[in-house]
Amino acid sequence: MILITGGAYQGKTAYAQAHFPYAVTDGAVCEFDEAKDAKILTNYHVFVRRLMESGIDAEASTAALCKDNPECIVLLDEIGSGIIPLEKSERVWRETVGRAGCILAEYAHTVIRLVCGIPTALKGELL
Amino acid sequence: MMILVTGGSKCGKSRFAESLFSDIAGPKIYLATMQPYGEEAHSAIERHRKMRADKGFLTAEQYTDIDRAEIPAGSAVLLECMGNLLANEMFRDGQMNDCTDKIVSDILRLRQRMNLLVIVTNQVGSDDLDYDAGTAAYIAALGIINQKIAENADKVIECVYGIPVTVKR
Repeated sequence: MILITGGAYQGKTAYAQAHFPYAVTDGAVCEFDEAKDAKILTNYHVFVRRLMESGIDAEASTAALCKDNPECIVLLDEIGSGIIPLEKSERVWRETVGRAGCILAEYAHTVIRLVCGIPTALKGELL
Repeated sequence: MMILVTGGSKCGKSRFAESLFSDIAGPKIYLATMQPYGEEAHSAIERHRKMRADKGFLTAEQYTDIDRAEIPAGSAVLLECMGNLLANEMFRDGQMNDCTDKIVSDILRLRQRMNLLVIVTNQVGSDDLDYDAGTAAYIAALGIINQKIAENADKVIECVYGIPVTVKR
């Protein structure tokens, strides 16, 4: 597994596609089942919110994804570095995305973070 | 020795900060700054207590004037967290106070008395949303405090999804 993270619009998808000629599965709209066959799974932070809205344990699902799709390239927006949201559901989502990110990062052999399109390897080597 | 640990929400800051104390033989103090209001605060406190269980920390609480915390000199202190300390100081009288310099000097005084001071802070300026004046002032103040403490710190670490990244060594 490879985890690619960073804020919104930092070039994560372009970076993934520049190194892997795979189709992209968009976690914001795909069926939940598609995740386990996805080669590049984008918008995982939105995927987490959709799981939560459907009453599914997003942390357990994330651990299951690592097991079921161990070669997946997961793209996750960093959303936890702003002000704590006023809405409780947004607070819980933001925290769950953080924990899901920790699960993915622990499992992944490579973790890349993009800032202004520039990749930094947080774990493993740059692609 | 002063170490600043920063990062976004639920990125493993506390776990990493606690790991810095595993070799400490003397007294270890967890210096909590969060006022326990509401159910989420209580569940966060409970979660952090569980994480610290068996790690040998004594808990002290100080919500403002952090250098006045009653902690024996020469202790190893884990201060958690700057975001709450700032909110408490900034809005302490129900009005907005300019307290960045005060907090930084309180911290530097506390550090002089301690063997080790590890400070957990937060990154809150990375969503680029429009906020009301109070929140905008809070974001600015935390950014300035973080910069001043980092300047004085021996080490600065940013946690990203559980991975500690050394920003200053």
